[in-house]
Amino acid sequence: MAERGGERGGDRGGFGRGFGRGGRGDRGRGRGGGRRGGGRREEEEKWVPVTKLGRLVKEGKIRSLEQIYLHSLPVKEHQIIETLLGPQLKDEVMKIMPVQKQTRAGQRTRFKAFVVVGDGNGHVGLGVKCSKEVATAIRGAIILAKLSVIPVRRGYWGNKIGKPHTVPCKVTGKCGSVTVRMVPAPRGSGIVAARVPKKVLQFAGIEDVFTSSRGSTKTLGNFVKATFDCLLKTYGFLTPDLWRETRFTKSPFQEYTDLLAKPTKAIILDDVEKLDA
Amino acid sequence: MPLPSTHACEDCLLLVYTDIRTGPRILFGAVLSSFLIVDCVIAYMLEEMEMEDKNPNNLQDLSSLRISSLEEEEVEVEEDDYEDDEEEEEEDDDEDEVSVALGFVEKPKNPRLLLRHLFPSKAGGVPAWLDPVNLPSEKSRVCGFCGEPLQFLLQVYAPISEKESTFHRMLFVFMCTSMACLLQDQHEQWKRRPETQCRSVKVFRCQLPRSNPFYSSEPPRHDGTDKPSGDGAALCCWCGTWKGEKVCGSCKKARYCSEKHQVMHWRSAHKVECRQICATFQTSDSSHNQRTLPLMVSSKTLWPEYEIVSEDECSFDTEASEASDDKSSLVSKAEVDEMFKSLLDKFEGNDDQRSWASFQGRIAKAPEQVLRYCRDVKAKPLWPMSSGRPSNADIPKCSYCGGPLCFEFQVLPQLLYYFGVKNDIDSLDWATIVAYTCMASCEASVSYKEEFVWVQLSSSSPI
Repeated sequence: MAERGGERGGDRGGFGRGFGRGGRGDRGRGRGGGRRGGGRREEEEKWVPVTKLGRLVKEGKIRSLEQIYLHSLPVKEHQIIETLLGPQLKDEVMKIMPVQKQTRAGQRTRFKAFVVVGDGNGHVGLGVKCSKEVATAIRGAIILAKLSVIPVRRGYWGNKIGKPHTVPCKVTGKCGSVTVRMVPAPRGSGIVAARVPKKVLQFAGIEDVFTSSRGSTKTLGNFVKATFDCLLKTYGFLTPDLWRETRFTKSPFQEYTDLLAKPTKAIILDDVEKLDA
Repeated sequence: MPLPSTHACEDCLLLVYTDIRTGPRILFGAVLSSFLIVDCVIAYMLEEMEMEDKNPNNLQDLSSLRISSLEEEEVEVEEDDYEDDEEEEEEDDDEDEVSVALGFVEKPKNPRLLLRHLFPSKAGGVPAWLDPVNLPSEKSRVCGFCGEPLQFLLQVYAPISEKESTFHRMLFVFMCTSMACLLQDQHEQWKRRPETQCRSVKVFRCQLPRSNPFYSSEPPRHDGTDKPSGDGAALCCWCGTWKGEKVCGSCKKARYCSEKHQVMHWRSAHKVECRQICATFQTSDSSHNQRTLPLMVSSKTLWPEYEIVSEDECSFDTEASEASDDKSSLVSKAEVDEMFKSLLDKFEGNDDQRSWASFQGRIAKAPEQVLRYCRDVKAKPLWPMSSGRPSNADIPKCSYCGGPLCFEFQVLPQLLYYFGVKNDIDSLDWATIVAYTCMASCEASVSYKEEFVWVQLSSSSPI
């Protein structure tokens, strides 16, 4: 292949080999070499957004994840979440499970990785990925977890002193036969839950909660999904502090067509955050 | 994975792989005689059990005695996911075979390097026409929906050395800047009658043999002395893209490709300049005029100009296979959670999400790429979405020679980021633009032949 490339290059002389004929050595930019030296950090900085939302985040027009949640915009690039949540986002591999498929030549083993990400301050995500290598599975699962980050509402058990530490009200989530019920708990109770949902709740940033589950919790898939569903519902529950009518704001796509800043938008966001506190 | 500890016995070539957690497990074996194997297995198992404390499950395994069977709790045999696994395997195989050239945009060191006699590959700005005289006709240069002349997106210099007639070969991509037209275009591309198609995205192919009336047969020397063999046709002075056939009525100097551009130019600057030009040029020769008037590109809405540099995709592969060193601490539980398998359905997503994830994984090797080029029969474009893909029947035949079309290159949405396209609700946005060109790269009476374009828009379904 190299030989043929050389011959053709000879035919064309200096005309330029065009596309599909190998890299342009003569310009000497050495993109491949330079990036190999830089290592992983360079790749992350060189995120080139592919979606419109990604471009808005990269420009810095969207500053918090809540703006995206407010308008239910689909997040397709995990770098968006990384940029918005920053270094507080921690991830942990919950389990690596080898799964096998029977083939004529023996078993083909792949590894399934379960990763939970969260910033300990109201955002959690869970990702599952199966791959031939452990490292690839973990990387893929982290990306999927970041894409599935949801907001979690916290409230108080009694006096509204300090930061919110528990769920705002009794909520229940259901998946399959498993129902998980979360009940507000006083400070210092800690997370009273089974091992697996306890981990998820820790990442969510809930400090105290009583839980009660029912159904076949042995089916961990349903169990974790039920706790997720429960956490999702914390923001779906209408409490008296949310009785005020919402003033609809423009979506980030519409907002930046005009160069005027919209003061009403800021007020609404502050309200929601203050009410939690 | 723990190293296998071999059970070396002369009678059978049996490898027993011992996992600390689960005990001995037989992975490979070359069976000389089944009886011998069975005996060896039993002997080995008993040996192990004497040394360590084992649960009675092993004895049960012995009684069933299939060499390939494993303890069910720890490791599962996937039966439901056969199709998914096979699909994944097939995808990997396909992608490995063909080598893809990636295009990256860079600011040119000197804008003069992007003139047409140097055969550049570029994006944005004005096109460097290969054949400067026989430019595309009036009908083919406008958007089929709004009637505006199309704007230049990028051009790729892609010669084919096997044929004489394709010594020089350029592919030009034009598109209408309005998103509304692109949405209507989506309906059009599904219709299978290319002669009657009106599109808002068009790809033109132009090819020349080595000896042609426009350029010298010698390669350009790149030392500043190169120039084309002749002048090209006069171009519109608003867009600088299309042929300026119409002339301004009063000064007779400014040329336009369409009435719309004349109106735009008149409103912005020409109203004032027109009289001045009339006055100064009244006495000069008419033959002088074309050379003395520089090509003014008055439009401010053209996309910024870049050069496209190509690199092979395989040169980025070494980075991808680096082992992850930050995830060495695994939290593995002793007991087995068999039903984690059910999480697969819930969290791994549907078709669209999976194709998006594999698209992201592929471009993550080189996130700045804007163009993927692969002119191979086996080549398949990298689709971001699973919905909106053409089947083989959707791709028509070449409208000039009737031969089949094959995938040549695709444009990726990173280009929008480099062009600085605004992110309003109605601004341009696509997931990928795929160009299919005539496999035989046929000759036809027109100099710029239209090829088939497929645009995939990003769906707004949430992940």
